[in-house]
Amino acid sequence: MLELVNLGLSNLLTPMILCFALGLLAALLRSDLEIPEALGRGMALYLMLAIGMKGGFTLAEGGAGLEVLAGLLVAGILSFAMPFVAFPLLRLLVGLDQVHSAAVAAHYGSISVVTFVTAVQFLDLQATSYEGYLVAMMAMMETPAIISGLILARRSAMGTESGRGPGLGLSSELLREILVNASVVVLVGGFVIGWATGDRGAAMVKPFIQDPFNGVLCLFLLDMGLLAARQMRSAGILTPRAFGFGVAMPLIGAGFGLGFAALLGLSLGGATLLAVLAASASYIAVPAAMRLALPEANPAVYVTLSLVITFPFNVVFGIPIYFGTARLLGFS
Amino acid sequence: MQTHRKKKIEIIVEKARVRSVLERVEALGAKGYTMIPDVSGRGHHGDWGHSDILDVYRSVLVIVIADADIAQRIVDESQQILQHATGIIYVSDVDVVRSEHF
Repeated sequence: MLELVNLGLSNLLTPMILCFALGLLAALLRSDLEIPEALGRGMALYLMLAIGMKGGFTLAEGGAGLEVLAGLLVAGILSFAMPFVAFPLLRLLVGLDQVHSAAVAAHYGSISVVTFVTAVQFLDLQATSYEGYLVAMMAMMETPAIISGLILARRSAMGTESGRGPGLGLSSELLREILVNASVVVLVGGFVIGWATGDRGAAMVKPFIQDPFNGVLCLFLLDMGLLAARQMRSAGILTPRAFGFGVAMPLIGAGFGLGFAALLGLSLGGATLLAVLAASASYIAVPAAMRLALPEANPAVYVTLSLVITFPFNVVFGIPIYFGTARLLGFS
Repeated sequence: MQTHRKKKIEIIVEKARVRSVLERVEALGAKGYTMIPDVSGRGHHGDWGHSDILDVYRSVLVIVIADADIAQRIVDESQQILQHATGIIYVSDVDVVRSEHF
């Protein structure tokens, strides 16, 4: 237990997490601090490209085998299945209606890149390595949950009043969102480029990809703090039970993540990252898809849950908890 | 200089709906549009359109200039497109110089 507390403290006292806290504080004090939107998008791109390449370089170093395919399969299954775990909890315990439950459930099957990136930094701090293909697994987990969300929403409501007609309502617009979503393209692209170019590539981009990474992450988390605090204004629409879900669901997800990690035989670092992936919820890709697919669901519900509750919980408490638990379970 | 009376339709709508709005606008006979990619304000949905990396709250202003009958068709169909979406549509009279462009 004491060890967990120590891990938590060492995570808290990093410039990255403190920057997140600074962002929260600044917005709560109504400071005029603002990160220009274009810079925010640029940093998000940078972090995704950098983490993608890092994963690719690591994979090139160790060589790739069948375990990569197994990992991708597990990632797809996890993302697709998690909403089916979240949905009954949302319906029965939180008391949300079907459409909102389905929309929220989809967010929890998908992932948060920034949470993953923060976890990677945490592992670096603990001098713990991880399997490079976890990055590819992350990309794989981004969108299958969207389909699950649609299945859950449509199950008993085929052809609702909005005239979408029967079926899943997978418009070409939505399919594009699922298949060539910007973050999937950058993550997978970076990963493949990193893998293909290996050591030689790593040496070429190191000053850009490796060295400024933590600094950019600081600035990005500052922005995330501002965003989360701003979104808190919508927190009034959430019940205490919904808040409870926002904390409980990541723990349940992490449990599944660790279970599959054991199945795949991942290392301590890899298991921690898979737990983080299963625990985290999307707040960029899935909300955009849900506005297209389930417009009757209020975005304030799902964005607040994933951004105001689950994201900070994972980044501040979740990562050390999952790491500590994985170590207790004997991952090494 | 001679001018011609046309209708200007302004549609403020959340980003997720823009593509379908533009498709309908063109299908209904408008020859073009102008888009302001990021606008913000306050209405009965509360604050909307603060621009940040969460595209879900972003709103876009689409301006269409067209003949009165096309404008009417766009307005008639708009409620279906804007259902469940954050959006405003309104029409005003404008005078244009190059009639054949609209």
